[in-house]
Amino acid sequence: MARYVLKRLLWMIPIALGVAVLVFTLMCFCPGDPAEIILGSTATQENLAAKREELGLNDPYIIRLGTFLSDTFIHFDLGESWITGASVKEAIAERLPRTLLLSIIQLIISFGIGIPLGVMAAVNQNKWQDNLCMALALIGISIPNFWLALLLVILFSVKLNLLPAMGIGGIEYYILPALAGCTNGIAAGARQTRSSMLDVIRSDYITTARAKGVPEWQVIVKHGLKNGLIPIITVMGTHFGKMLGGTMVIETIFAIPGMGQYIINGVNNRDYQVVQVGSIFLAIAFSFCMLAVDLLYAAVDPRIRARYAKGGKRRAKKA
Amino acid sequence: MMVSVTNAAVSAAPRKKQSEFMRVMRQMRKNKLAMLGLIIFIAELIIVLLAPFISPYDYTAMDPIAIRQGPSLQHWFGTDDLGRDIFSRILYGGRYSITMGLFSVAISTTVGMSIGAVAGYFGGQVDNIIMRLLDIIQSLPAMLLTIVISAVLGSGYGNTILALSVNGLPAAARMLRAQMMRERDNEYIEAAQSINCSKFRIIVSHLIPNSFSPNIVQATMGVANMIVMAASLSFIGLGVQPPTPEWGAMLSGARQFIRQSPHMVIFPGLAIAITILALNLMGDGLRDALDPKLKR
Repeated sequence: MARYVLKRLLWMIPIALGVAVLVFTLMCFCPGDPAEIILGSTATQENLAAKREELGLNDPYIIRLGTFLSDTFIHFDLGESWITGASVKEAIAERLPRTLLLSIIQLIISFGIGIPLGVMAAVNQNKWQDNLCMALALIGISIPNFWLALLLVILFSVKLNLLPAMGIGGIEYYILPALAGCTNGIAAGARQTRSSMLDVIRSDYITTARAKGVPEWQVIVKHGLKNGLIPIITVMGTHFGKMLGGTMVIETIFAIPGMGQYIINGVNNRDYQVVQVGSIFLAIAFSFCMLAVDLLYAAVDPRIRARYAKGGKRRAKKA
Repeated sequence: MMVSVTNAAVSAAPRKKQSEFMRVMRQMRKNKLAMLGLIIFIAELIIVLLAPFISPYDYTAMDPIAIRQGPSLQHWFGTDDLGRDIFSRILYGGRYSITMGLFSVAISTTVGMSIGAVAGYFGGQVDNIIMRLLDIIQSLPAMLLTIVISAVLGSGYGNTILALSVNGLPAAARMLRAQMMRERDNEYIEAAQSINCSKFRIIVSHLIPNSFSPNIVQATMGVANMIVMAASLSFIGLGVQPPTPEWGAMLSGARQFIRQSPHMVIFPGLAIAITILALNLMGDGLRDALDPKLKR
């Protein structure tokens, strides 16, 4: 297991570098001259030329890429915002935890509610509980979360005046954003749980468990859900990406100073240093979360754990 | 998507008693919810196509007397901050929102399937390199990748479609690749190779028709996903810009009037939600109909 974790952590390095190269290359094609964006349209030709030389814009692509990678990953020098001159490193250190926390809370709520709902639907297949759950889930996956966020603001902030509409502060500021972001997840979790529970629930070992007198709830949770968990975790993983994306948009609605708002403002202000570095770090953080999901597979399923152990041995022999 | 299914089915028809396409359609017809989704979506397409004849007002016509009015008999969905009729704008906006979803999925599915076909057929190093590249694209959250690409390309209808279609590529490629690897070792492929079929022909006329049905389900669901993404992009000011009546752009403009005129926020979002609901119903039905476990 430790070997597998190590192997996966090492695999993160080429992924992180790959993401950095991809984003850097894409940003090279951004319209506009960085020197002009930094100095403003009033700058003289000489100043612009000097700034270009200072930024290394006259160097060939491969040298700029190398400088960028060594600055970012070896010297941890993330540069300054082109517009405000503020340090990007500090901004990321402050904002990244906020965005990740909000997304992870959404993920936990989604599956904390979605899995029980799905189990209930599967156990009562084709009864009213099932139909109600599935109808709600269908509506849940169909509502765009940024629109839901606006509706929640109308209801809870404008009409009822219960919760704040924007900003950060106490826990009450996070209720609406979390709620808006998690409905899609709850719905997806419930749907996947239902279908994988239905696959499992007709197996022979479930009948066996019932026949030997295991209490019904134990049959459902220990024998049923535990075996149906793998596809649910897969959905969880793919959904986390969507949630992170959704959080980026929701942040702009609730004026939460997180990575999403940072990057989107960066794009709108043509502050490409912010966009470039922000995207790379958000993507790396995302990959770590996906790694956690992969490890969860191994934690849940002893078969997968065994396969990893075997794979490790085989590799060791070859080496 | 549907057109290519029909073609595949027609070419296969003389040999089979009942084509795959007809079987799937029969299954679909039994599924009332899926048919409901199909009907809603087709109705929406027709309404949007006939927008010039249906819409009661010109979607650009401003009425300085009727600014931010609530829903009424004259203006079914009310008017916006410039006195434009929201109902008419939603009808025209559907042209942008729905076609953005359809085109971006069409591009990402076609290109993604070509990549997946090459990776799946040749395997080995080719497959390895392609898959690692796709890994990198997939390690960026879809929304982030779209934001970065649209920052590079700039806003606008065509650019947004391009930006959206890039993040559909890996999923489409993976799906076809997995299916083709399963199909590749069949005897009919060996037969085709033994009669000296070209690789291109084996891939295009033997392997792809036999392995692309999961891609259809994925594409149907993908359209819904892309419409939401397109709307969110316009909402944050990157996709299609106002005054174009795209649904997300309308929401973006309505945001500042959320306290005084909530109807400006409610109706465009409702249009998105109904479209997504219809597409999801269709996608669910299609998935069930194509599911080999449920074959009768």
